[in-house]
Amino acid sequence: MASQENSDVSAKLAALRQKFLVRASADIEALRAYAEQARRGELSAEGLIQCYQQLHRLAGSAGTFGLAELGVAARALEKKLKSQAEELTDADNSHSQTIEVNDGFADGIDALAKLIEVKSENRDQGQTTVSRGDAFEGSHGMQVSVIVMDDGREGLASLGAEMARYGFDCRTVDRHATAAVQEALADTPGAAAILCSDSAVADVMALRNQFMAKGARRRLPVICVGADASFGNKYHVAKLGAYAFFPEPVDVPELAERIESLAIERSAGVQGRVLIVEDDTELAEHYCLVLQSAGIEAQTVSDPLDLMPTLSAFQPDIVLMDVQIGDYSGVTLARLIRFEPRWLSLPIIYLSSEDDPDNQLEALSKGADEFLMKPVSDDYLVRSVRIRCYRARQLSELMNRDSLTGLLKHSLIKQEVEKELARCRRDGHPSSLVMLDLDHFKRINDTWGHRYGDIVIRTLANLLRNRLRETDMIGRYGGEEFLVVLPQCPVPAAAELIQGIGESFAELAFSVGESSFQVTLSAGIAAINDFPNGEDALEAADQALYQRKRGGRNGVTVYSLQ
Amino acid sequence: MVAEREGLPQRVMYVEDDPDIRAIAEIALQDVGGFTARLCESGAHALKVAPEFDPELVLLDVMMPGMDGPETLRALRELPGMAQVPVIFMTARLQRSEIDEYRALGAAGVIPKPFDPMTLSEQISEILASAQMRP
Repeated sequence: MASQENSDVSAKLAALRQKFLVRASADIEALRAYAEQARRGELSAEGLIQCYQQLHRLAGSAGTFGLAELGVAARALEKKLKSQAEELTDADNSHSQTIEVNDGFADGIDALAKLIEVKSENRDQGQTTVSRGDAFEGSHGMQVSVIVMDDGREGLASLGAEMARYGFDCRTVDRHATAAVQEALADTPGAAAILCSDSAVADVMALRNQFMAKGARRRLPVICVGADASFGNKYHVAKLGAYAFFPEPVDVPELAERIESLAIERSAGVQGRVLIVEDDTELAEHYCLVLQSAGIEAQTVSDPLDLMPTLSAFQPDIVLMDVQIGDYSGVTLARLIRFEPRWLSLPIIYLSSEDDPDNQLEALSKGADEFLMKPVSDDYLVRSVRIRCYRARQLSELMNRDSLTGLLKHSLIKQEVEKELARCRRDGHPSSLVMLDLDHFKRINDTWGHRYGDIVIRTLANLLRNRLRETDMIGRYGGEEFLVVLPQCPVPAAAELIQGIGESFAELAFSVGESSFQVTLSAGIAAINDFPNGEDALEAADQALYQRKRGGRNGVTVYSLQ
Repeated sequence: MVAEREGLPQRVMYVEDDPDIRAIAEIALQDVGGFTARLCESGAHALKVAPEFDPELVLLDVMMPGMDGPETLRALRELPGMAQVPVIFMTARLQRSEIDEYRALGAAGVIPKPFDPMTLSEQISEILASAQMRP
């Protein structure tokens, strides 16, 4: 029912977008005529005002119809004309006289025309995406999809099956069955990559370009495999637009790794979250609107008493703080925020009209990271906030994530155990804690070398990410030890889940030259709620793991209270 | 898809001169948001429709030929029963002074254009919720 309504709405929206595209094309044609006049020095004041109004209309509407790029470009041109247009409107005489315009204007209009041409080309594909709402969230918790295109003789179906064992959702289609290809592309909008044979790259690229909108194409790279690993062949497929080449026999863990990192990269397209601390509520609201219209999530706090609860609830990437909030000093508030260890690395940026370097330095020493000078122009605000959010995210990734696996680091996953225990207490739900360890890992390192040891560790990390839920937390606890927190999951269910993952993992063959090896894992599980604190729960899971190791490894043991 | 109706208005009037935007707003308000929407092509048209439609919320485009948004608001307020109806301005030009001016006119808030048809109704309910919190 709900999905029926949904598809109904998207059909209606798609139809309106087509209509809008037609109109916008006509508007831009008209604008181009003015641009030509401007090039010849014949543009009248009247014409310039017309252009200004036309651009304003486009800027305000294109985004609503899924043409955000066009809207942004129109807004930029509108701004260029703004002061001149307003002066001319106010002067309100001799509108027919010709006037000089800003150099970039005519070229800007041509650029708009190009943008709309591109959109019109894709007209038949319907469904341009609806702004931010569709952000794909890949990686952890959401199974990564891969489309395999084969003609039935290229032997890729077995590679697909192999990938499925690594936890990927593989969909194989015959690339000569056009309808099936189209359907597969439409049905798996979140797919991370297309896999095909090197001899099929040209065909596959053509199919992808035929059935996908331009923006979506870029997000679906083509990875090919082939027997000929010569420079010439690799150059050839690179020229055709392939994203990666894997020589046969395919190193499956490496391929899995590459696809996984594509999915993670994609999910990192988020724009950021900003908390604005400002007692001038109207100014705060203005900042908020400006940031939101640029796709950045923003929230305001006007009363410092609300600051800490809002921080916890909203979890911003950065904080924009006024230097003085009523009777409270922003400098002191910044220090107070840093009282809590979890906010030690939260970037705090002052909004200040303070331009004395000495005073700035004092504020910096007290815990602020940077200054933004008031008044801040809208553009500057958006750009600087975006850049800082991006950096903040990169930094926190670096600090919180293990570099080999991308999983949470030791100290963070331990914190998650404590947090989950607190949640269990509060809500009374059962949760499980799993300690995982690779069997005979030292032997792998000694026999095959550390490079293969690392591959095994990364492969398990990827498998866990693919098979667990988004709400589950996974950390690298030690060298070959992993810790998993499964919220709202009773121990029997956890045991079954981990048993299944262990079996899948044991089936994977890691090949080294001609030979290959397999690895098993052992797990100990404990019910988090049975223990007074996180340390004890960890100890219990560790004991269970120890028992499993002594009882022959390769399997799951549940901790029992003697 | 129909939003929680608690405390939210049912009848929404949207005044907008661009026919394409009217069409998409109708979907955003009715199909996505679950409101009963009435679209008006001009301030003058809105003044005619208002007494009979009895809107519980009015969305006003700022830049319109003839009567612009603020003028339409002033005229609406003169009509019987329209003195207290919450009004939200829709604008593509976000300037501090402008927002102040709309506030002073008694607007509940401002929604930047372009709006996203899938989230327009959420933006509306957020603005109405925060307007109620203000003294």
